[in-house]
Amino acid sequence: MTWIPLCLMLAIACLYYVFYLPGRLFLGPEKTRAGYLRERKDAVYENLRDLNFEYKAGKVPDADYASLKSSLQDEAATLLAEISRLESLAPASRKPRV
Amino acid sequence: MKNPISKTMPGKGSGRFTQIILLCAVVFLMLGAGDPATRFNEIGHQMMCICGCNQILLECNHVGCPASDGMRNELMASVERGDSDSLVEQGFVQKYGPTVLAAPTNKGFDRAAYVIPFAALFFGFGLIVLVIRAWKNRPTPAIADGLRPVRGAELEQFRDQARKETDL
Amino acid sequence: MAEIGSFALLLALALSAYSFLAGIVALIFQNRASSQLVGVTAGGPGVTPSVGESSLATMLRQGSERIGETARRAGIATFAAVLLASVVLVICAFRNDFSIAYILHHSNRDLPGPYKFAVLWSGQEGSLLFWSLLLAAYGFVLRLRYKTDPRLFAYASVVLSGVQIFFLLLLNFAAHPFAIVTGTIPADGNGLNPLLQYPEMVIHPPMLYLGYVGFTVPFAFALGALIMKYPGEKWIHITRRWTMVTWAFLTCGVFLGAHWAYSVLGWGGYWGWDPVENASLMPWLTGTAFLHSVMMQEKRGMLKMWNMWLVFATFWLAILGTFLTRSGIISSVHAFAQSSIGDWFAWFLAITLIVFLFFFFKNKSHLRSEHKLESLVSRESSFLFNNLLFVLLCFTVLWGTWFPKISELVQGNKVTVGAPFYNRVAIPVALLLLILTAVGPLLAWRKTSLESLKRNFMWPTVGAVVVAVFLMITPQSWGSPFGLKPWQDISYFYSLMAIALSVLVTLTVASEFYRGGRVISKHTGQGMFASMVQLTHRNTRRYGGYIVHFGVVMVIIGFAGAAFNQDKEMEMGYGDKMTIGPYTLICRSYTDDDAPNYASEWAVLDVYKGGKQIDTMTPVRRFYKASQQTSTMPDIRSSLNEDLYLVFEGLNQDNGHPILKAHLNALVMWIWMGVWIMLGGTILALIPNAPAPVRVPAPARLERTQAAPVVTGD
Repeated sequence: MTWIPLCLMLAIACLYYVFYLPGRLFLGPEKTRAGYLRERKDAVYENLRDLNFEYKAGKVPDADYASLKSSLQDEAATLLAEISRLESLAPASRKPRV
Repeated sequence: MKNPISKTMPGKGSGRFTQIILLCAVVFLMLGAGDPATRFNEIGHQMMCICGCNQILLECNHVGCPASDGMRNELMASVERGDSDSLVEQGFVQKYGPTVLAAPTNKGFDRAAYVIPFAALFFGFGLIVLVIRAWKNRPTPAIADGLRPVRGAELEQFRDQARKETDL
Repeated sequence: MAEIGSFALLLALALSAYSFLAGIVALIFQNRASSQLVGVTAGGPGVTPSVGESSLATMLRQGSERIGETARRAGIATFAAVLLASVVLVICAFRNDFSIAYILHHSNRDLPGPYKFAVLWSGQEGSLLFWSLLLAAYGFVLRLRYKTDPRLFAYASVVLSGVQIFFLLLLNFAAHPFAIVTGTIPADGNGLNPLLQYPEMVIHPPMLYLGYVGFTVPFAFALGALIMKYPGEKWIHITRRWTMVTWAFLTCGVFLGAHWAYSVLGWGGYWGWDPVENASLMPWLTGTAFLHSVMMQEKRGMLKMWNMWLVFATFWLAILGTFLTRSGIISSVHAFAQSSIGDWFAWFLAITLIVFLFFFFKNKSHLRSEHKLESLVSRESSFLFNNLLFVLLCFTVLWGTWFPKISELVQGNKVTVGAPFYNRVAIPVALLLLILTAVGPLLAWRKTSLESLKRNFMWPTVGAVVVAVFLMITPQSWGSPFGLKPWQDISYFYSLMAIALSVLVTLTVASEFYRGGRVISKHTGQGMFASMVQLTHRNTRRYGGYIVHFGVVMVIIGFAGAAFNQDKEMEMGYGDKMTIGPYTLICRSYTDDDAPNYASEWAVLDVYKGGKQIDTMTPVRRFYKASQQTSTMPDIRSSLNEDLYLVFEGLNQDNGHPILKAHLNALVMWIWMGVWIMLGGTILALIPNAPAPVRVPAPARLERTQAAPVVTGD
């Protein structure tokens, strides 16, 4: 019957670990619209770099390259404009919440 | 019986070419098919051992298998008698049941086993072609909700920024 | 001891149930708190505003955050409890505690140590416990890493807990690993299945299970992201490594299984299209499709619904595979003892399907595409076809696996669906996939000009044709294993195609490295090799992926070798001779021996090639005492060209001579080498990319075309 105290100790240890929460919780930075748009911008940037590289490697003809690059840069510019607008509006919104 | 090649319309060169290729293929496939050892090997690989080992008849490897030796002898006898492939298979199916064949046959519902995957392939292929066409023709969606289009000097400024940052 | 294990399992169930329920409560209240704030700032879909919180909302939020934290911790504690139960089971195995039914049925006193450890996954109950342990371990890592994105991880944690509850319910109420033997306890156990007493058996199941279970993680993230309407595709970036690691485990597990079958089962092959083998292949196929198509979502915001379906299918097929193995619904040589747990699995499959469908249709609008396709000839469309073929292969395997059952329902009799069926149906599709593997890398994202495609494709095609012609015309009398006349046999045709297409893939992959290296070399002035290394380091996923493709090609070449296999069976007394291919075997002796765990019989054969003795081989047959079963241990002599594979089939009862079967299996070694390369490529793909280099500014900025970047994308 030595197992009974062992099991009890185990259960108490688990309960203690689960429910004893001293101090403040880590909740991470709140995901803001600017943060979301920044992710989108990174993806567009990756695509732009990619396009440039594939052009250099001879997979994309000049005419296509110009038009694709232009449309991607438009996309990036729209995102950058919105990000800069949001940042000028609420500079505090990116502060992490702890 | 008419020769199918004689029906070919003049000018249909590619059709005739395909037929010649097919004919050659058939002729070559027939070569070597008459040899009893080859036929034994071929048919034996289309059948299962029925002892429960779930192995192809000619791959069943346990000594003292209650089934495979007898089955092999039977198969050899049929092949040496000159029975056609389908006759041999029919004999086995009658004796051991349809599970003796290692794969579904080309008759009746069994044919669905082969038809369905290829039908799915063609269906899927067609579907993707349609999807690609539809996606190509659809209007460019918005990058994200609530974005204002940028114009003029501001556009140029941010485009330039994007170019510089991806140029690195 | 058994009581502690049982208690640990109950505790684990309670903890995971708490983690699940508290997790849901916390998320619901967090959402309420957020929704009270909607309208304070202009937010995009699912983007939480963060200014001007009301006091009620703050309280609600803080309370739910604390509950959420306890849910996370309960998930972590679940791992500890399941780990304890597993450790207890292993200790019981080592202590030969035959009062536990599971140990009695799967172990015996003389079983060597490593196999006693493997007892944990050798039977029904233990392997379910092991499954649960791995799931808990994945959950443990996930919950520790929650700081990456606490909200998303909280959702994923709830999904994982849901799956965990199912396995713990099974363990506690349907397949208890600590069930006690009633009546007198036997002095020794029944022993481990001899087929499982092989070194690889100690690693094959863990690898396979790590793969099976691991796909729960990307599924949990995907479902979590769908439920919370996660804005953007960052979750894919977060799960990318999980998916790749899981895929690598599954690949490893599948091929270890093949290698184990090859080395132990003694029928000379590595893949028998058995339902259980198929069960491991299906999630691998959809998982591979997911690995490819998820790039479309990450880069272009496309295929979101499709990816959701793929990751669900992968998870679901992994569970279905387990269901097939455990329920006995489809006959298989691998099957565990039939039991009622099949019903549990069927219910679980149904419930997960319903839950998935519910959230899919509820939040479908969140999954709409963000881009249009620019061109028919693009990387995007090649990925669509790639996915079609992978899913079709999976469907074919599923169809073949279930066809006996379907046939029974439709025409009243079962049929066998064995290797000849799959050879006829799956090989053509696999060859199409190989063509796509060759073409895909040459296509640029968005749009590729046909001109450049033709230009880049020409030399690889010429190379492939040259190799194909070479294989056709080199006669076997030159010592070539080829002399492949595709018109003689359909299997020769397939082999020739497979090898030629493999060459094509290799050359296009090589040309990708070369072209990329050239761009870098021009920019940096480095040598070609250094440039290619740098290229790989700058985009490890892409170039690691190409190396995986190269590994696949080697595996395919290995498969293609099967067309040249030969075998011969002979009774061999002292000095008897057998010739197979270039080898001559002479029987030197045969004998038997007795060990505590098994008795064995074997033959000693001298192997000659070209008149010289090159080796001595000893195929063995063992009789395991505890389980009263025999098992063969083939002796295999591997070379790049072919494996000489000898099986001791048994003794002729009349004269006591051994009966030996020799197989000559062409190119098998390529398969195992290919798998190593696939794993190497995956590890490479897991390495973080080198940061984008800082460009020398002055002259390059002036001329735009020269200043083009050398940072590679996917």
